[in-house]
Amino acid sequence: MKLLIVEDQPKTGHYLRQGLSEAGFNTELVADGSSGQQLALSGDYALLILDVMLPGRDGWQILQAVRSAGLDTPVLFLTARDAVEDRVHGLELGADDYLVKPFAFSELLARVRSLLRRGSTPPQETSLQLADLRLDLIRRRVERGGQRIDLTAKEFALLEMLLRRQGEVLPKSLIASQVWDMNFDSDTNVIEVAIRRLRLKIDDDFPNKLIHTVRGMGYVLEERPA
Amino acid sequence: MPRLSLSSRLALLFAACTAVVSLFAGVLFSRASEAHFVELDQQLLEGKLIGLRRALHDTQSRESEIRLADELSRQADLSLRITGSDGRRWYDSSANLPDLLAQQPGLSTVNDDGTDYRVLNAPLFEDKPDSPQLTLLLDITHHQHFLQRMQHLIWLTVGLSALATALLGAWAARSGLRPLRRMSAIASGVSVHSLNARLPEASMPPELAEMAHSFNAMLGRLDDSFQRLSAFSADIAHELRTPLSNLLTHTQVTLTRPRPLEDYREALHSNLEELQWMAQLVNDMLYLAKADHGLLMPTREPLDLGQEVDVLLEFFAPLAEDARVILSREGTASIEGDRNMLRRALSNLLDNALRFTPAEGEVRVRISQQPKVLGLVVENTGEGIAAELLPRLFDRFYRADPARQEGSSEHVGLGLAITQSIIRAHGGQIRCESGDGWTRFLIELPKRV
Repeated sequence: MKLLIVEDQPKTGHYLRQGLSEAGFNTELVADGSSGQQLALSGDYALLILDVMLPGRDGWQILQAVRSAGLDTPVLFLTARDAVEDRVHGLELGADDYLVKPFAFSELLARVRSLLRRGSTPPQETSLQLADLRLDLIRRRVERGGQRIDLTAKEFALLEMLLRRQGEVLPKSLIASQVWDMNFDSDTNVIEVAIRRLRLKIDDDFPNKLIHTVRGMGYVLEERPA
Repeated sequence: MPRLSLSSRLALLFAACTAVVSLFAGVLFSRASEAHFVELDQQLLEGKLIGLRRALHDTQSRESEIRLADELSRQADLSLRITGSDGRRWYDSSANLPDLLAQQPGLSTVNDDGTDYRVLNAPLFEDKPDSPQLTLLLDITHHQHFLQRMQHLIWLTVGLSALATALLGAWAARSGLRPLRRMSAIASGVSVHSLNARLPEASMPPELAEMAHSFNAMLGRLDDSFQRLSAFSADIAHELRTPLSNLLTHTQVTLTRPRPLEDYREALHSNLEELQWMAQLVNDMLYLAKADHGLLMPTREPLDLGQEVDVLLEFFAPLAEDARVILSREGTASIEGDRNMLRRALSNLLDNALRFTPAEGEVRVRISQQPKVLGLVVENTGEGIAAELLPRLFDRFYRADPARQEGSSEHVGLGLAITQSIIRAHGGQIRCESGDGWTRFLIELPKRV
């Protein structure tokens, strides 16, 4: 699965490629709009990450060229300006998502994964599982090591998200947006508290912890060797 | 066309008024004196007519000729013509009398060859229809000269007085308008460095006092906004300085000598925290800057405010349970507005309320329908906020906690300012009250944006 990054800021581009490569993606980086458009039109990429301001051709123009060539490659925009018109313009042209600089890499990674997953229909699971933790989607029940655990509706939704995206670091903003539909930056520590309360029920009584904090980035659900 | 100054306008108007008034007076005076002269002449001529009729009573006698000459010699500027009933000229008392004279009886004025006469025609015998006609001619040239001189004098007076009032008027207008010039001098001297300049309202004439008051009020508002703005810039620098200096110090110290891997990881984590705080600050400031430029444009979707509040209360439930605070809502209302913006505004208020509510306390959201607006109150129990601090709550970077530690604080300190911007972008307003154990944020929102 190849990703194309078109970004003219050398440092930004370099770190984006490094980060995405280390996250397991095959990533290509170009710094100018014209070669970016050429590559994008080849149709070899699963996702395009475009900066808006580029030398040669800007991000909007690349997007237009890609869409008029009949390609439906998902496009994620990176923009330094959070103007409403920009957002509307991008969405009208067929952008799939956008991120305003400064953004956190964990946020970008989460969005990239969401976009890549969008195309494929998820298998109709009836339950999700990690180690001895099991979440029954039909009966809406959670068990760990055979022990029944009572969760509130939101705790259930939070755990479901963590289980569905196990192994991924989920930033707090993404959790707030997906579980509570709070789509804005906030410096509230609600998510921390909610995770702590979930841990209390899921992890506290068990020796191998499943919910982990990745300092400064978010939370991840995974089995780690003790 | 260049526009006239107020002083010149006033001066010209004064001059025109004076000219009209003095012209009117002059014309009236000249008419009156002319009428007076005519009256004097008439009296004189009628007096003479009696004497002449008496002298000419018997036209045939030699004696009457002597009496006539005598009568005429008493008045040097008087001449007499006697005309027969057939129109023939019988007698002229002096040689160069005008040839043609009006025949109708009564007084008239005739000009002949540069000489002006007042002429009185009358029959010699009043009871005879075919009586010879007496024509008395009074030379009034010197009267006319006098009248002409007087008219010249009037014109001169009109001109001079108009000129004089124009000059005096200009002077008066200039000194009358001095407060205006003082106002303009102060206004032109106003710059960002002298926004504290004020007009002396007390010494202004009443007509200008109101304007001076408005002007001063405008200066006051500008001064206030400017102070806030410059304080904001200073605050930004101040707020960024601490995390930046942490980053610099920490990074440099870490790099001074080789360390175990764990130390590097710790340094990067610490840096990440500072950086995230700074990113949040920059994003919040960009949001506020957008609001300041009127670019915060709420969408208009019909919202059930009660439902929105419930969603937020559910979001904050873990935090409230942890703090052992009861969250509740009363009332509901429908509104048109931007869901995400309103959620953000209310989330800031709730987050704020929860932070200042002591354990076992309460946070309530009350929604009430009023005729034109709807009211939304977010209130929490707890130690109140001092009255003098209330107006400053919405200032950027303002933290009611006096022991505020910029940079290291968990919260950026722009939450309430952002809430205010969002409420204003929806056409509403927000204020804070504190007392009787409750702190209340009161919001009024129009039902439609």
